[in-house]
Amino acid sequence: MARVPLEITRRTLLKSGLAAGVAGAMATTAGATRSPAHADIRDDRWFDDGDVETTYNACDMCPWHCGVVVRTVNGVVRKIDGNPHDPKSRGKLCPRGQGGVSFMYDPDRLQAPMVRTGERGEGKFQEVDWEFALDLIADRLNTIKERSGPEAVAFFGHTAGDSWFAEHLPQAWGTPNAAKPSTSLCISPRDEASLMTFGFPVGGHEPLDWEQLECVALIGSHIGEDARNTVMQDFASLHGRGGTIISVDPRFSSAATKADHWLPIKPSTDTALLLAWLHVLITEELYDVEYVEEWAAGFSQLAAHVEDKTPEWASEITDLSPEQIRETARAMGEHAPKSVIMPGRHVTWYGNDTQRMRAVMLVNAILGAYGREGGMYFNDTPFISDFPYPPYAIAGSAGGCAADPDDGDDDDDELGELAVGPTGKARADGAQDTFLQGPTAMQELIEPMITGDPYRIEALICYGVNLLHSVPLPERTKEALAELELFVAVDVLPQEHLAWADIILPEATYLERYDDLYTMSHRTPYIALREPAVEPAHDTKPGWWIAKELGERIGLEAFFGWEDIEEYLDDRLRSVGSNINDLRAQNGVIIQEGKPFLEDYEGASPFPTSSGKIELYSTFLEAQGLDPLPEYEPVEDPPEGYFRLLYGRHPVHTFAKTQNTPELYELFPENELWLNADAAADLGIDDGDYVTLTNQDGASDGPIKVKATQRIRRDAVFMAHGHGHASPGLTNANGKGASDTKLMTRYNLDPICGAAGMRVNFVRLESSEA
Amino acid sequence: MRSIFLLDLTQCIGCEGCVIACKVGNELPEDVTYIEISEQVHGTFPNLSGGFANHRCYHCTDAACVNVCPTGALFQEDELTRVDSSLCSGCQYCVRACPYDVPVMVDGVATKCDGCRDVTKAGGTPWCVQTCPSDALRFGPRDEITAEAHQRASVMREKYPSAQVYGESQTGGLGLLVVAPEDPDELGLPADPQVPFISTVWQDIVKPGGFAITGFSIVAAGFAGIIARRNHMKELRELAEQGAAPSHDGHDDGEVQQ
Repeated sequence: MARVPLEITRRTLLKSGLAAGVAGAMATTAGATRSPAHADIRDDRWFDDGDVETTYNACDMCPWHCGVVVRTVNGVVRKIDGNPHDPKSRGKLCPRGQGGVSFMYDPDRLQAPMVRTGERGEGKFQEVDWEFALDLIADRLNTIKERSGPEAVAFFGHTAGDSWFAEHLPQAWGTPNAAKPSTSLCISPRDEASLMTFGFPVGGHEPLDWEQLECVALIGSHIGEDARNTVMQDFASLHGRGGTIISVDPRFSSAATKADHWLPIKPSTDTALLLAWLHVLITEELYDVEYVEEWAAGFSQLAAHVEDKTPEWASEITDLSPEQIRETARAMGEHAPKSVIMPGRHVTWYGNDTQRMRAVMLVNAILGAYGREGGMYFNDTPFISDFPYPPYAIAGSAGGCAADPDDGDDDDDELGELAVGPTGKARADGAQDTFLQGPTAMQELIEPMITGDPYRIEALICYGVNLLHSVPLPERTKEALAELELFVAVDVLPQEHLAWADIILPEATYLERYDDLYTMSHRTPYIALREPAVEPAHDTKPGWWIAKELGERIGLEAFFGWEDIEEYLDDRLRSVGSNINDLRAQNGVIIQEGKPFLEDYEGASPFPTSSGKIELYSTFLEAQGLDPLPEYEPVEDPPEGYFRLLYGRHPVHTFAKTQNTPELYELFPENELWLNADAAADLGIDDGDYVTLTNQDGASDGPIKVKATQRIRRDAVFMAHGHGHASPGLTNANGKGASDTKLMTRYNLDPICGAAGMRVNFVRLESSEA
Repeated sequence: MRSIFLLDLTQCIGCEGCVIACKVGNELPEDVTYIEISEQVHGTFPNLSGGFANHRCYHCTDAACVNVCPTGALFQEDELTRVDSSLCSGCQYCVRACPYDVPVMVDGVATKCDGCRDVTKAGGTPWCVQTCPSDALRFGPRDEITAEAHQRASVMREKYPSAQVYGESQTGGLGLLVVAPEDPDELGLPADPQVPFISTVWQDIVKPGGFAITGFSIVAAGFAGIIARRNHMKELRELAEQGAAPSHDGHDDGEVQQ
């Protein structure tokens, strides 16, 4: 495997152009702001070293954004804890949140803007100053816009500041090609299915009324390994009071260890199970008859559709017994409506995921769960005004998560017009062509960078997306990056894809910057503050500053009509009768009232579908020539000698972001390959052995340590996502473990929402040296 | 306030939030943790059960580590065992005496969980308890913790028929009660933790007599000799095998040289 060096020439470049830049010296070590090293046990305590200053923040160690309090002594951040007043953290914090201090003081952080001096991928850079870097980017962007139109520039964004880079900037600039990995590589199928069924997406925080819930079913959701703080708390609360837990997972996950029913399903067959559950709930009249009559449309078609989807039928497909299927359906029905299938988050598995998620929505619908106490509440978005700005050059289709090509007219089953940019081009990801609708599909924007079809994407601004460790087909991505006219990467750490960048902009971490307000959709919608605990380290800058400085250089100054971020925040907060100081005095959060349950709507329909009902039978899908009710579609099984590659989370890490964070690295330095112990014995592989993985197309990665365990089926292997970094600048994480993404040389495109189903890759194992 | 811990292993989901909160809050050096979490799953696919075990200080009442400590570095206070590493001579007797294998040597001195002494003295909650998202940790007065432990075990017997409270009788009552989903022995929690003979003798006979630090090595050497002859405890076999000469990890303060 090619290891890309990241050679950095420290700042010597004059503003005389890049040609003079010479690569040379290796990176020096970071320094100025490191936490005092402690090689031994302290008998005194950090909180006795000086005054403890408290600041409020929204954690950015994962996208959950728990409210935290940050404690700083003598200008050094020492401890982060959950903010007791925050509806998400409630004073608690997960391991990654606790590791935030270590993330900030990671000596491997990027320190200054850099321009590339070597070939793309070679990793040779020269440090420059901000003005030079931003002028250079602006100059190139303006040239591309003049020649090819603003649509030729794509914006990818992830993590806290992505509202600037994947929403505000691209919409102001005029490109529909803005995408977030959190949609087509994560939740799109879930939110599109919910939209088609209930008229609204599930939203960020799955709105389960855990406090009164009695029964939850998890379809692959591995709470505890997926360490979202609030969800772990809620799950623990249900478990602690004796609630019923059903875990459907090929793996005996951490959550499965807490389950009353573990269903070790054959991977890819979940839809068959869901249809059989619907069959049992309907034929045994375990569903909420009155609720369905009042709020649902298409029940008779659904009942007819699942009439022959018996547990016996599903048993053949799923490897589960008919008794298990009946027993669990009855458990769910017994507790209805305080009984829910958790919609989950990462659901882009097999390419038919929107239909599977439709089946999940249908179960929840006939259980009568939505809008009911103990079921699911209606999320509400907090009220707050935007800072005034002129109309966007393109709205709606830009902005990743928020994008939907539908014209917003819900009264018909027609697809809406795709929004177009100033030169008349709609998004290049194939929406309404290779798939129906949904947020912009990041992985579908890679090909146009190479082929120019439907038009060439010539530039990419990539904010915080770990491109080569999140988008499948990473070799294709490298090819695309090599083709770009301009590739700008904004990041905190020297991730692998940065070696291809023309210009690297180092961002300050969440502990060192203000950010836009967090406006959280929630049962009690709320607004949360992020304020800096310390000044940005090195020559790094906050995302808002980078966006504003860049915007002002590319003719978008009217969209940044504020002097500094504090003016911006105070202006927005004025609309809710507050300001930064007041918000701070209110423990960093403003909590508003929501309308969580049906009775809050006083008879009006809370379901904004065209019929005002829950659409069990989708006339919209039918009009598009797609299945109006979910069908089980088999996907390819692993060939002889291969295992299906499953991936997921480890609790101390987030995506491909935290593997290098010293405190977190120490606890989980490399991922392991879960392999059924009997299968391991057959292969002559022992627990702890290292193996190399090779997939069906010959792509390989590793070595990775084998965890031979009874906790997984024989036909699949599992690894934590986000390891196997190939970036020497990541001193800890480089070369540790294996990358699931590198083994994804194919994916199945979801024909409804354009998501990439990634659990369709198979691997074989070969012994290897560590 | 005198408080003890509750650790509910029926609830722990193994996220390790406590481990890192403890490490950061207590500024523990690299590769040192006061809590280790390990998976405890039994059975064969698909008939599996189990969850997570914790390896951490159980804060014995009749604490072997405190009993054997010749310098007072380990001491008992408010129902918990504390460490003042600045007093540690590096003898490692606590390391060998602990029935739960808890104290570790770091740069020549013994250390372990001290129940976040300074945090709790200032009115706070131990870092691990404060952060736990799984409601597996509590900190409070012994009677409240005892009642809660039994309440939790009784609810959990629906899901885990063998759920039980561990720690009320061990070593005179632990300062950390465990709600165990299964036989505690399976979770590395012995029904009858053996407090090594050495520690009781030390506490009852030698220590009350007092000693000067210079005399300690002589006493210790004689001690080791007696114990080696008795030869009935693993810890002491180790002691004998090493010639009763504690390793100093390069940190030679010369106080206990044989």
